[in-house]
Formats: sequence, C-alpha cells, structure tokens
Amino acid sequence: MDFDLPNEHRMIRDTVREFCEAEIAPIAQEIEDEHRFPESVFEEFGQLDLMGVPAPEEHDGAGGDYLMYALVAEELGRVSGAIGLSYVAHTSLGLMPIVMFGTAEQKERWAEPLARGEAMGAWALTEPSSGSDASDMDTMARKEGDEYVIDGTKQFITNANVANSVLVKSVTDPDAGYGGISTFIVDPDDDGFEVVEVWDKMGLNASPTCEIKLDGVRVPEDRLLGDEGDGWTQTKKTLNGGRISIAALSTGLAQGAYEAAKGYATEREQFGRPIGKFDAVRDMVVDMDRKIERARLLTHKAATQYDAGEDVTRISSLAKLDASEIAREVAEDAVQVHGGYGYTTDFAPQRFYRDAKLMEIGEGTSEIQHLVVGRELGL
Amino acid sequence: MSTKILVTVKEVAEVDDEFEISGLDIDDRYLEYDLNEWDDYAVEEAVQLSEAGDDVEVVTVTLGPERSEETIRMALAKGADRAVRVWDDALADAGLLDATTKADLLAAVVESEEPDLVLTGVQAADDSFGATGVALAERVGFEWAAVVNDLDYDADANVSSVRRELEGGVEELTDVEGPAVLTIQTGINEPRYASLRGIRQAQRKPLDVHALDDLGLDESVVDSPVDLTSMYEPESEGDAVVWEGSPDETADELATFLREQGVVEG
Repeated sequence: MDFDLPNEHRMIRDTVREFCEAEIAPIAQEIEDEHRFPESVFEEFGQLDLMGVPAPEEHDGAGGDYLMYALVAEELGRVSGAIGLSYVAHTSLGLMPIVMFGTAEQKERWAEPLARGEAMGAWALTEPSSGSDASDMDTMARKEGDEYVIDGTKQFITNANVANSVLVKSVTDPDAGYGGISTFIVDPDDDGFEVVEVWDKMGLNASPTCEIKLDGVRVPEDRLLGDEGDGWTQTKKTLNGGRISIAALSTGLAQGAYEAAKGYATEREQFGRPIGKFDAVRDMVVDMDRKIERARLLTHKAATQYDAGEDVTRISSLAKLDASEIAREVAEDAVQVHGGYGYTTDFAPQRFYRDAKLMEIGEGTSEIQHLVVGRELGL
Repeated sequence: MSTKILVTVKEVAEVDDEFEISGLDIDDRYLEYDLNEWDDYAVEEAVQLSEAGDDVEVVTVTLGPERSEETIRMALAKGADRAVRVWDDALADAGLLDATTKADLLAAVVESEEPDLVLTGVQAADDSFGATGVALAERVGFEWAAVVNDLDYDADANVSSVRRELEGGVEELTDVEGPAVLTIQTGINEPRYASLRGIRQAQRKPLDVHALDDLGLDESVVDSPVDLTSMYEPESEGDAVVWEGSPDETADELATFLREQGVVEG
C-alpha cells in the first residue's frame, strides 16, 4: 500500500494550493458577502486546465484521474466552499455525464467547451416536491416528431444562471418508474427555459443555487443523452463520482477551518500563554486533525478505487457521509476556538461552518447515504 | 535561425518562522524546498521569449541533488523544454559551494550547450551571494548585465536591450551583445502558474543528469577559499510603532515622530 501521492499529483496539488492562496483566499469572504459568482476565477481555471481534470485529453480535458480531481476539489474547499461547489457541480454533474454517456457529436458540441473552461456546466435532478425520492419526478418530456418538449420545474440547481448547458432529468415514460427517466442536454438559451429564483442561502452564496422553469422547451432528438430510460442508471453512476468530489470538498473545508484554528490557538494568548497550550483547546485541535486524516483517507481510497474501475457505491457514500459530517464538526469547533472573533465575518471559520452544512444535504443527504450504505451491507 | 536560452534554476531552502540550528546548517526539519523566486522570473522571461519567437529552445540548468528534480519539473511545467542537472558526490561532500565553484560548474554546461543567451536570477533566496550570474559571464567570456528589470531581445542580431536597476533608484538602459548573461530581477514579468497539462507533460520532458566527469571537471572544482565556519541566529531588535486613526491624524503623528528621531529637520 502506497500512501504517498504520485509526483504529478503532488505538483498539481501544490500549484492549485499556490493559486488558491494568492488568488482566491483574499476574495473568499468578499464574494460571499456580495453573493457574487466569480466568473474570472473560473476563466483562470480554464487557463490552468482545471475545468476538465478527469475528462480525457481527446475531449479537451486534462486526462487526469479522480484522485487528481479530488485533490483539486479539496484545495478549492480549503479556501472557498462556494467556488469549490460550483467547480465540482460543473465537473462531476455538468461535464462528466456527457463524457461518459454522450455521442461523439454531443461530446464535441457540449462537453469540450466545458472541459476547456469556455462554458459552465450544470445538471437538474431535484424538483420542488422531489428531493431524496428523486424518482418521484414531475418534469415530463414528450416526443413530438423529431423533437422533445420538456415541461417542469427544477429546484436547487447549482450554476443554472451561469451555465451554458444543463442536464435535465425528465420522465419520458410515466409508467416505467425508474426506467422511465431520461436525460436531456438543455441550452439555457432554448425558448421556455427560465431561471425563476436565485436563492439566498445560509452559506455558499458565491455559488448560485437556482430554481428553473421549463415551459414547453423544445429540444431536437440529438439532445437526448444516451437512450430513453437511461436517466436513472446514469444518475447513479454520476453520483458515485459526485460523492467523491463532495467528500473531497468537505475535507478541504475541514482543512481550512483546522488551519485557521491551529494558527489562532498558537497566536492567541490568554492567562499568559497561547490558548493551544490549554488541554481544552489542544484537544479540539487534535480531534480536528484526527477527523480530517480519516476523511482524506476515505476520500482518496474511494477515488483510487473509482480509478481502478471498481464499484464504489459503498465507499464513496461512506466518504461523503463521513467527510461532510467532519467538515461541519471541525468548522464548528474552529469557530469555538476563535471565541467571539470566530463569530465575526472577519475570520474564516464561520464561513466554513455555514458552507459545511450543505455538504450533509447536497448530492444525497446523510440520511440517504445511510440508506445507500445499509443496502450495500444487505440490511 | 534557432535560439537557445539557458536558464539557471536553483532549488532554495525556505525556513519556517521557528527553527533550530544544527551544526553548520538549519535543521532539516524546519526547511522546505522551492524554486528560487528570482529564477521563477528568469524562467518566465525565457518562456515568453520562446512563445514570442520561432524555434527558441529553453534549457534549464540546476546544481542540485535528486531532491531538486521536483523543482526542476516545475520549471519544465511552466514551459522550459528540457533540463540539465549537475550533481556529484564531490559536490554533496563539499557542503557550501561558493560563487566561483558554481560559475565553474555552470561554465562547463554553457560550453557544452552553447546558448545564445543565459538568464539567471539576480540572487538565490537562501545564500544570497548575488554573484553567480556575473561570475559565470566572466568565466565564459560573455557580455553581461546584472539586475535586469526589462528586456527586449532581438534574436536575429542576438542583442538584448535591457533596463537595469542601479543603486539609489537609478536605472540604466543599455544594449548587450550576445552571447550574454543577464541576471533577472523580480518584477520583470508576472510568472505564470503551471497548467495541469504543463505539469503532466513535464514528467516526460528530458532531464539529464551530469556528474563532474561528464563535464570534463574533477573534484578540484570544489576547492574554495570560502569556508563556512559557524551558523547562528543574529540578535534581532525590532521596535514598531503603530498609529491608528484617519490619514490626517496619523500623518501628523508620523511627522512628529520623524522630527523627534532626527530623520527630518524642521
């Protein structure tokens, strides 16, 4: 067993870290306060070949693996959960399904601009009344000649108002249950596509979360991703990869909060010595280190097994479940270590705390992860 | 007509805020290694010339142990075409390499590579001799310009029009005929971040390792009149005064302070 990262991966992690510290950390709170999606940061990601890390080189990706992608996601989370979230939604949910399930023409038309960083990706599964029970879907796509006509509302869609393509899950056969769901590539410029809400959230406000309405959106047949009825199988495969990236992002949030807490515990003096010298504070910081090591090991294991082509349903669920809880716990303790300052927006821990909470909800709540793992265990 | 630019690249030690000295060096536990900041600008300058010109080859040369290959790969990731690393047990045993030794070693590489232009950093962030580039020029008989903060290179004529920093804020504009050595100052450009593809390609770019024999040198090259005799942390005294308030108020306070300290009169 080799726990050392390959040289290439380490160099990429270090370069992304350097970029994040110089270019993102200084604006992380500002973009959150202004609820501003930082377009220019994503343009720079494109120049650094970060927008298609796990996409193959023949489709303008970087040809990296999921371990490399997880390292990038962790580094982004370490400075900005919002940028990290928009980034993994673009990559795992907007780009990779087209790479995995698209035709050669779809890859060229839709995946390659995403991989080059010229376009942002999104996908739309959740609906106002369909969350954890994602199959209880009201969005319908009916065939009319050589077109599909899509009607419905999608909820909590990351990047929808900045995206150039949205992968919309719709029911094509209402009687077929899970087998009646299909995926369509929708262009936000298509008639009938409307972003009706950009939510104000507890955190992650630099990453837009939208409600979208599809009112008779007509798309040609060649926008169907895969075959009719493939939508649910595609979703499960996509979320296996997606959970790894949320686990990595969560690990990054925890790491950022931990570093802030450790730094503060070393510098802040009370009763004549650094507060980190008191058992109560030291133990909190030590537990952060303990938990983060666990989250990172699980995440890297899930990514490595994914890259080896193994079934990662259980391990990616475990990684996502554990890392997201760890992110919230570590961030909460980081606020506590900072005392009153930790409750102010001048210090980063409150942001990590607010950002971390979403990780236990998005891409399958913790409760759903328990359900997934329970099934894998035969319970 | 092709152009070859040789860039010296050093891996420098960076010291943690808190450290301990062990013997004649800072304890290795407190050191991290990275590309020398000045060399980062030199690499960027060379890569920009190669991107702007036809058929420009950028070769890096490093004196350093195997560990330094990660730093060298970073220069390759930023766009250098290939790398040369010089190392030998004799160099490892010698400890401190003075500027003359480095110039002799680099001169052997210059003689075999025959570059049109050599770019070095002004200095290295760790030992800060600030002499290697000029010593190298002297050793190989090249023209040179030190502390260059702007460069316009005419590849056809092999002439570098440079702006160089002199003491006291004075700058000099001059032309240097090639082959030349230019020592590059920080700020001359904005070094890029390596792209992910650049990093991946860098793993496959040639990195040749030469020992002293390969360069036609022997162990006498490390003989030096300079000996490192001790390493200590100098006593440092710092006394900072911080004024808070509006610019008007603080400017008054600063003015009073400067008068009292005799920095300004009146």
